[in-house]
Amino acid sequence: MKRMLAGVLSVLIGCVCLTGCHEPVQEVKPAPEFMPLNEIIDGRKNIYLIVKVLENSSYWQVIMDGAKDAGNALDCNIYYSGSYVETDWASHERLLDEAMTKGADAILLAPDDSVNLSEKIDEIYQAGVPLVLIDTIANTDHYAVCYMTDNLMAGQNAAEEMLSLLEKQGNSSEDSVQVGIQVGATSSLTIIERLAGFFQYWSKHAPPNWEVIPEIQCNEGDAEKALACAETLLAYPNVKGVFGANNGSTVGFAQVIKEHRRNDVAIVGFDYSEEIAELITNEEYTASTILQKQYDMGYVGTETALSLIQGEEMPVKFVDTGVVIVNRETIQQEDVQEALSHN
Amino acid sequence: MNQKKTFTEENEISGNFSFFRMLVMYLLICGIGVTLLLISFNTLIRNHDKKLTGEICSLVTEKMNNSIRYMTSAAENMSAVLSAQDCHDLQNLYLTLSQENHAKNYLSIGFIDNEQNIYASPVELDEFQKWGLLETAMLADPVSISAPYRSSTTGQSVYTIFVDFTYNHGKKGYLFLTYPLKEIQTMAYTESLTEDTEIWLMEAASDNIIQCAGSNAYAIGSWNNALLSMRMQINTSDQNDYIQWKNQMNAGEKTAGMTYHIGKTTYTQVYSKIDFMYGWYVVVRIPSSSLSSAIQQFRQSVMLFLSVLLVATLILFIVSHKREMEEKRVLENLSIRDPLTAVMNRRAFDTMAGKYLAKTPKPKAVLLFMDVDYFKQVNDRFGHDAGDRILKEFSALLRELFGEISYISRYGGDEFVLLVRSADTEDINARLTQLQNQAKQIKPCDNPEEYGDFQLTFSCGAAEYSEKTGNLQQLEANADHALYIVKENGRKHFRWYENPELETH
Repeated sequence: MKRMLAGVLSVLIGCVCLTGCHEPVQEVKPAPEFMPLNEIIDGRKNIYLIVKVLENSSYWQVIMDGAKDAGNALDCNIYYSGSYVETDWASHERLLDEAMTKGADAILLAPDDSVNLSEKIDEIYQAGVPLVLIDTIANTDHYAVCYMTDNLMAGQNAAEEMLSLLEKQGNSSEDSVQVGIQVGATSSLTIIERLAGFFQYWSKHAPPNWEVIPEIQCNEGDAEKALACAETLLAYPNVKGVFGANNGSTVGFAQVIKEHRRNDVAIVGFDYSEEIAELITNEEYTASTILQKQYDMGYVGTETALSLIQGEEMPVKFVDTGVVIVNRETIQQEDVQEALSHN
Repeated sequence: MNQKKTFTEENEISGNFSFFRMLVMYLLICGIGVTLLLISFNTLIRNHDKKLTGEICSLVTEKMNNSIRYMTSAAENMSAVLSAQDCHDLQNLYLTLSQENHAKNYLSIGFIDNEQNIYASPVELDEFQKWGLLETAMLADPVSISAPYRSSTTGQSVYTIFVDFTYNHGKKGYLFLTYPLKEIQTMAYTESLTEDTEIWLMEAASDNIIQCAGSNAYAIGSWNNALLSMRMQINTSDQNDYIQWKNQMNAGEKTAGMTYHIGKTTYTQVYSKIDFMYGWYVVVRIPSSSLSSAIQQFRQSVMLFLSVLLVATLILFIVSHKREMEEKRVLENLSIRDPLTAVMNRRAFDTMAGKYLAKTPKPKAVLLFMDVDYFKQVNDRFGHDAGDRILKEFSALLRELFGEISYISRYGGDEFVLLVRSADTEDINARLTQLQNQAKQIKPCDNPEEYGDFQLTFSCGAAEYSEKTGNLQQLEANADHALYIVKENGRKHFRWYENPELETH
């Protein structure tokens, strides 16, 4: 009887007290404290660099190389840190606070999240510390200048390259052609703008029979997931092309294409990983990648930070550092070789 | 243990009233009532939301379109004035207008002449090239609006309005004004809208969307793609509705609305075509729940009130029941208990035993008739208080040994009658033997010198209830007969009626 009573009471309480469930929060390794990138000499200006991925990323290593070279050439101290996962914007928020506490003369930031970090960026601006954005813009006006790839345009370049590769593979406008797309973190404005740019160009120029598979795959920055996403898209019957909107997605596609010897599928990706380089240089495959000029972002970003410390003002707030398209035909071109030399 | 048993006996005497059943019934009725109330509230909220969200979406899209029209009208008016002035030198006009310092809501102004020469800053010239703005300008008849793009000067998203005009004796040119996208976002903002209201610009061909209003102020102005951020989020069951809605947009229909679910949230979404921004639409989405916050608050208040009422009545119910039970227990004790020994009186015993024996099929039972031996002598030797003490302790011993399986009563004086609800003679014999042994420990007083070698004994006649036994009176007579024989044979023993082989000492 008591059990019955308890049961009825709990049903009643359940009717009255409607409570929500909380999803478990996935823990990520927090960003380390700032470390010197070059020799620290007293009396020089201190510039703090915050990158998106601190380890195992050739892309971010190149940015750090650019900042280090600029620090040595222009006589300033560079400290650096960054998150281990590019979705960990909370670490970036903490690092921005730490840089301020340590008395940064200027900050170079590649924001992990364009939206969520905007408030903190506003705070830095209010404090009067010059802030140069690199790689990714934030949804606020309160920064000095942003050096980055115009990702909307880069996405258009990717779509243009995809159409070109599909034609080179012998697909006619009458053929039914499907193109699969994989993206990384959906919170990254960089990736989403590339995607939007790709669709912008594709919708105007692709033949009506050529369609993008509506199920866009998201790997959320997970390498294992990227492989699974690639497998899913490559299983579509008429898939003739795949587009990886960031490095992780491109690596996932390249690995699966190579594993299954899918030389009937053209790949357009981003950044110059070993996996995509192998497909580009192998005549069996049709592959291209969009290479950003991230060395310039690090170098020019540092150079600009110093100018801002000295009181100079920037005439523009946004500088598109541009891209180069790397494929078997362009790989020997001077600008491509220059970009590749930093990878 | 005895207390618990007594309670059961009283319940049995007074009939099978169950407080817990009533309580469960009460709670069930309350539960059903509350659930019905919740269901009717939720239905009311859902209907209210669906109707309102649709109307609000339509109003917002209309407001956005009117605002864009107002903006293009301003550009058209400027073009009319310039056409009337019939300017001969566009370069000079550009320099004059672009350097004007008066308050203006556009970022820059420029011209395109009839040979497609562009009068703009070097940064803007690059942007014309990069974003194919000349192609958009050529669509102006009389107005066209570019897709949003990122301005190098501001770093933020902008769009450019092109309006045709005439200069230098009727040559056709274009005036262009570049605005920050925030202008449209400002138009989208309406104080009365809830934070959950989302407004986008959407390009039908590419599925690209740009957020103009939403709960996160910093997300405003960001690009996305509806395939990723909208369609893939929608519940599978509503996917076809979305595709149909999108097909209406692709077919160029001016406006269409739909309702879909993301998880458990219902959204109403309406689009409306934007004049002059070819291929672009305003899309407004509102979660149904956002409008009903007032009703939801009211619902919560009602639920809270009902909960308090329920708990209060429940407490009142339990307290009054407890008081009633206590009173009843006192009254019943007075009417069914022997005041000295707290076992049943004869009347209560007869009722209980009669009820028990009347059960069908015939229950198993044994009646024990007991007399405390030489009780009169105890009274005479030690006094009546000692006699009372003997009776109290003896009846306590009876309850301890037989309470679980018997109805116990004092018939009067030193006579006790027990109806054992079992016919396990071995067990009964064992209990009686134990009673014999333990009874010897009962003393009339605490002083050993006073009671000396006193040992309490009792005589007992037992009769088993069987098919042959007619009723309680017969059973009592049988047991009494057995007791008589025990007494005749010197007391201190117990004996079974007509069952000599079970006799024991």
